[in-house]
Amino acid sequence: MSGDPTTRDTSQSTALSHLTRSPAGILLTLLTLICAAIWFFPIYWAIITSLRSDQATVQEFGMLPTEPTLSGYIFAIVNSELPIWYLNSTIVSVSVTVLVVFMSACTGFAISQLRFPGRMVLWWTILTSFMVPITALIVNHFIIIAGVKLLNTHIGMILPMLLSPVTVIVYKQFFDGLPKEFREAAVMDGATELQVFLRVFLPMNWGVTTALAIITFIGAWNSFLWPFLVAQDEKMMTVTVGVSAVQDAYGVAYGRVLAGAVLASLPVALAYLFFQRRVTQAITLSAGIKG
Amino acid sequence: MASVELSQLTKRFGGLEVISGLNLSVEDGSFCALLGPSGCGKSTLLRMVAGLETVTSGTVRIGDRDVTSTEPKSRGVAMVFQSYALYPHLTVAENIAFSLSLAGVSKAKKTEHVARVAAMLRLEPLLERKPAQLSGGQRQRVAIGRALVRDPSVFLFDEPLSNLDALLRVQMRLELAKLHNDLKTTMIYVTHDQVEAMTLADKIVVLDKGVISQAGSPWELYNRPANRFVAGFIGSPGMNFLKGQARHTGDGVSVTLQGGITLTLPPRAVAAFTGERSVEIGIRPEHVTLASGSDAQISGKASVVEYLGNTSFAYVDTAQGSIIVQADGATRINAGDTVGLALTTAEAHIFDDTGQAWPHL
Repeated sequence: MSGDPTTRDTSQSTALSHLTRSPAGILLTLLTLICAAIWFFPIYWAIITSLRSDQATVQEFGMLPTEPTLSGYIFAIVNSELPIWYLNSTIVSVSVTVLVVFMSACTGFAISQLRFPGRMVLWWTILTSFMVPITALIVNHFIIIAGVKLLNTHIGMILPMLLSPVTVIVYKQFFDGLPKEFREAAVMDGATELQVFLRVFLPMNWGVTTALAIITFIGAWNSFLWPFLVAQDEKMMTVTVGVSAVQDAYGVAYGRVLAGAVLASLPVALAYLFFQRRVTQAITLSAGIKG
Repeated sequence: MASVELSQLTKRFGGLEVISGLNLSVEDGSFCALLGPSGCGKSTLLRMVAGLETVTSGTVRIGDRDVTSTEPKSRGVAMVFQSYALYPHLTVAENIAFSLSLAGVSKAKKTEHVARVAAMLRLEPLLERKPAQLSGGQRQRVAIGRALVRDPSVFLFDEPLSNLDALLRVQMRLELAKLHNDLKTTMIYVTHDQVEAMTLADKIVVLDKGVISQAGSPWELYNRPANRFVAGFIGSPGMNFLKGQARHTGDGVSVTLQGGITLTLPPRAVAAFTGERSVEIGIRPEHVTLASGSDAQISGKASVVEYLGNTSFAYVDTAQGSIIVQADGATRINAGDTVGLALTTAEAHIFDDTGQAWPHL
């Protein structure tokens, strides 16, 4: 009976309705709602503040703006380099996403499916690279990037962000889990290793690739410290770095600052909105590894 | 089409030798089944023919070419896997045409080849479906189609029916037999199911621990097993084995079983010997009949009776050991009944103490 999905679903929904009706269940639901409200309140406050005029931000403390205005947004767009920062963020995030996903898939495939000298050394190197947090390497990265004169360039911003052992490990795990017959069938059909990878393994894991691409994109878009160090010219800044610069420049103009912040986080919020399931999948995939 | 010749083929995984100096010749256009228990090396052998496993020593020849070190795609072989290995992201048509698309065949040619194969395997209505939308039998047909489209010289099947239910297995067995009749292409078929091997193959190769125990026609393996392993492995239920002492008599071999019962068997092609030798008599359940009175050579008590409708198998405990009897379905035997048994000694086999059969004359 336990194998019958209908029965299981029914029993689960019964258990759930029982939980929501019991005093403990009601308490739990209330606690969850309070936590959600606490979590959401700053976001809500940022949005409504961004819709207030400069004067209103220091005079109004209501839950809704009395005279909503887009002046903060218009100011942020017109009087800052926000469009250029958007472009920089897009260039960096898309490049990092494409390169990280492709290189990780290649490396994961090679370690999982090919037999070559040094394979295990490479694998252990990737695994042990986990033990060193990226922030601990940031000074070294800066010195190297400055040494090769790549400061204030997109390439300089992108290169150190390509280090992503988690993505390699997730791919390797997936390729390890595929029955060897797929590869053997493709080899019998006349496929080279590259064709096995590009035409069989990669398309078979399209869901994983999408999930990893989204989470990599979000991570790259949100990254702050490294772009902050590399982008010394205002025109080279990414959105996250630029918005913090706006904050400094505007002083207490909260409406404008938060309008910039809302605009900066918009792509990420949209990515979450449209790809919720894939993002959750990617977090689940890498959760066991990140620990 | 091509013959397959394996000479002194050996495969070692580290210190473990799984195939030992094996010689085998598979005739052009024949259907050869590699049969044996799990771990006997039959799949490894097939994979060495396919090129998916390297050869430790020895040679593999397909037709007149030595392909021992040739890549799988250049051997002219196609393989059907136990798990079908259909690419889940491709449609049936794309799965079938995969090898052609890798070879850069034009779209028109691909469509033509796919249509030909689909017609042969009745896959036309399924061409646009993905593997997940197919039943087990349909998937197996697609896997065969994928092999067929390459026009190989040799087909290799690695337990292709193992994942199907009993009814579908029978159906697919017939389809494979028909396919072989139509194509006349050399086929090598790995199975642990003796019924598949017996019904499909012209030649069965029984493997035991990496060596060929016996190779021959299904009739030979069933009726003239070369050794005790083959005798016990082929046939269901298995052959009965009774220990005894053999002596040469003028017109045959006399074997005295435990309990003092003496049987006289037809002469065998074995060097004359004096005195007695320890042997085992092998006799199939259908060559043991229920008997009464003076016709009964052995008596015992039925411990289990399996009723199959047209026939039944009784497991009889006797002083000579447990004996399986195949009885007519109409005969009523109940567990606990005491029954008399008569052995058709002309059909009995004799195995010496090393397990080798004394050949029939």
